Amino acid sequence: MTATATPPAKTPLFGGDEKKAILDPLWDNNPIALQVLGICSALAVTTRLDKSLVMGAGVVIVCALANVIISCLRNLIPNKIRIIVQLVVVSGVVIVFDQVLKAYMYDLSKQLSVFVGLIITNCIVMGRLEAYAMGNPPWRSLLDGIGNGLGYAWILAVVGAVREIFGAGKLLGVQVIPQALYDGGYVNNGLMVLAPGAFLLLGIIVWVQRAISGYVEK
Amino acid sequence: MNKTSNAYVLVFAVAVCVVMSTALALTANALRPAQEAAAEFDRQKNVMLAAGLIRDGDRRPRAELEQLYAQRVAPRVVDTRTGEVVDGKGPKDVEGLNKAAAKADKADAHRYRTVEIVKDEAGKLAVIVLPISGRGLWSTLYGYLALEADGDHVRGITFYKHGETPGLGGEVENPQWTALWQGKRILGEGGQLESVTVKKGKVDPSRAEEKAHFVDGLSGATITSNGVTEFVRADLRAFQPYLARVTKS
Repeated sequence: MTATATPPAKTPLFGGDEKKAILDPLWDNNPIALQVLGICSALAVTTRLDKSLVMGAGVVIVCALANVIISCLRNLIPNKIRIIVQLVVVSGVVIVFDQVLKAYMYDLSKQLSVFVGLIITNCIVMGRLEAYAMGNPPWRSLLDGIGNGLGYAWILAVVGAVREIFGAGKLLGVQVIPQALYDGGYVNNGLMVLAPGAFLLLGIIVWVQRAISGYVEK
Repeated sequence: MNKTSNAYVLVFAVAVCVVMSTALALTANALRPAQEAAAEFDRQKNVMLAAGLIRDGDRRPRAELEQLYAQRVAPRVVDTRTGEVVDGKGPKDVEGLNKAAAKADKADAHRYRTVEIVKDEAGKLAVIVLPISGRGLWSTLYGYLALEADGDHVRGITFYKHGETPGLGGEVENPQWTALWQGKRILGEGGQLESVTVKKGKVDPSRAEEKAHFVDGLSGATITSNGVTEFVRADLRAFQPYLARVTKS
């Protein structure tokens, strides 16, 4: 799909391939809903919306940067050690992100604890490097990285928002369920705070997403 | 160039490592001041949390909280052997004092420690915040135990640094658990040190002794719970001479 008859100078900056690279993973080929990758962190960090958003942003940044770096090096990387080189690049980018969080968002960094570091092992990142960045130019790889990161991030944000509203009655730390309801006997749903709650939610999201997009397992 | 030759693979691997480690070292260095400031602010926040000056999830801006800390909290360097406050020394001098003390006697390596005094609005001593630290399962836990001015009742406890398993030992941070410590007593009926014990299982409130000196255990984290019991007791014992002096005056 990379080879076209037109000389490079004439390929548009944002043509069909570019559009596909960034839009496909958002819906038609969503990394969580369709490929079911990156589930562990989706369960662990989604108890609150702010945690989900920061985690999502982390994966977008890591995915995009690692994709660009690997894509630039793709013709230099010896095939024998390509996986380990990818791993080094991903680890480097993740560590930088973790350090920035520690400096400027200390509280969130403490709560996300090991899960920022675990972005290194997130299958989405490595999967994109191996499947896309190793065979495509940097600009398109950047878009692909951003697209896949966002595809992961929006599902995390939805799960995080639902869990925070029903688990804690809050959204981004602000009370949204009125006190009057609590006085009337309403209680927060304890299941939403625990990992199984996220598991059920994710299952429902995958189901709804596949029903709408008409995906059929081959 | 032959990209499959071993020489190329080696050179490439080394180059990648060198470039990556340089980049990481530079970022870590550039961010260190900001990280240290953030960690210090987090520590101050935990002192105030333990003392009940602020509540968990306080949304006030950082500058306001730092001001509150500066106004109400004052660090004191304490000689734990005599219980006396060392005048004219700050938290920064503690390391030097301990090193000098350790040279004279090896058992004195932790002789000097920093206590934070919290005054109420009238300027009267309200809360004594003691640093606590010790081994859990995987890591050393660091936290604060706040006592009322009577040197007996627990005002609050927080942990601000640890490497325990999230969801198990990491639950020492859970506000619902730390709230269980409020109102517990560290002294027995005769005024001797009883400390507070983290029980395995739930506290039986019908027994007076358990109600005063025990808190519920953390399920799935027995070793962390036992660790907390042990180092809280050890730290309280170390501070007994100081507490006796403060409460007498």
